Amino acid sequence: MPVVAAVACPHTPQLLMRPETEDRDLVLRVHGAYARVKRMLSEARPDAICLIGGDHIEGFFLNAVPAFAVAVGRSVSGHFGPYDYTFPVHEPLARAIVEQGIEREFDLLYTQDVPLDYAFYVPLHFAMPEPAVPIVPLYVNVYLPPQPTPRRCHAWGRALRAILDARAERVVLMASGGMSHYPGTDRYASPDFEWDRAMLATLTEGRGAETARLTGEELDKAGNVELRTWITLLGAVGDVKAEVLCYEPSWHHGNAMVTWPVHGAARVSLGPPAAEVDAKLRSR
Amino acid sequence: MNAHYFFPPADAYPLNRTLFRLKSEPAYRRRFMADRDAAMTEAGLAADVRAALVTFDRDRLVALGAHPYLVFMADLRLAMERAPAAFEEF
Repeated sequence: MPVVAAVACPHTPQLLMRPETEDRDLVLRVHGAYARVKRMLSEARPDAICLIGGDHIEGFFLNAVPAFAVAVGRSVSGHFGPYDYTFPVHEPLARAIVEQGIEREFDLLYTQDVPLDYAFYVPLHFAMPEPAVPIVPLYVNVYLPPQPTPRRCHAWGRALRAILDARAERVVLMASGGMSHYPGTDRYASPDFEWDRAMLATLTEGRGAETARLTGEELDKAGNVELRTWITLLGAVGDVKAEVLCYEPSWHHGNAMVTWPVHGAARVSLGPPAAEVDAKLRSR
Repeated sequence: MNAHYFFPPADAYPLNRTLFRLKSEPAYRRRFMADRDAAMTEAGLAADVRAALVTFDRDRLVALGAHPYLVFMADLRLAMERAPAAFEEF
């Protein structure tokens, strides 16, 4: 049972540093949901967290825009206001993901020197299990068009699960992002909460694979460009029913925390070409 | 449909690079706050871009090709730097 927990979290910086414009009670309720996740992850006794994050043009600027990337350094660091974070990277696992991802025909970028974005450290600030474990930062391009298609994100998630299933480590899969928000646009104060709620209903019914059929245009329109991180995770967890730990709509953001059962879950079916690669790897 | 997050035009690269530095490079952010004109000269920005950065007018910056998210976070980082006490830390 290499994947021991699967969860999706928000990461808005206002949860870490609250301006006066942010409802304090709402922020504390989201912190409460993070505390539940932290307990859940601690009980899962993981060896590592594979954190699928949507980069906010922090790790990767316009000098290089990878669709999918893996940090394979000794550690990763990020800074936000008074906060300084450094997390060790689970190097053997990160390297295996890159090598086997490439083998499975996902042309991943890897880096041993990348600034860590708050999409990664905000969830870890609140939900890092005790004792703390190393991470594997998995980057998905969400803000710089053209972003990877939902279909490709889902396929990468399926491949990722197959890679993790062959490993000895106990792994938490965490997706960081969403839900509806439009930072920097004229829709900032009008998130699409209706879209979010319909999506959460789809996920609680165990119909996560349907997200692979979304288009990039739909995600942009719904303020859900970051849902690509969830879709990647959904590829890894398969069609199991999600449990919504919280949905807290603020004036600018749908804060959602969702978990999926992984113990006793049906094995994820591997579509081609992943199945063919699986057979090839087994025959070695 | 006009996407909220559009392909960044190449001629807006100096502007987006400046917004990125305001967001992610504390030393440049502080130089910008201490001497905005010198920081913008260093970045080699055109006159219309410089004018938009002085007022930090979101609509104008986006019309000039700025990535909306970069405008948002550069603005927030400047606000955090100017008035850190206005934020509650957790």
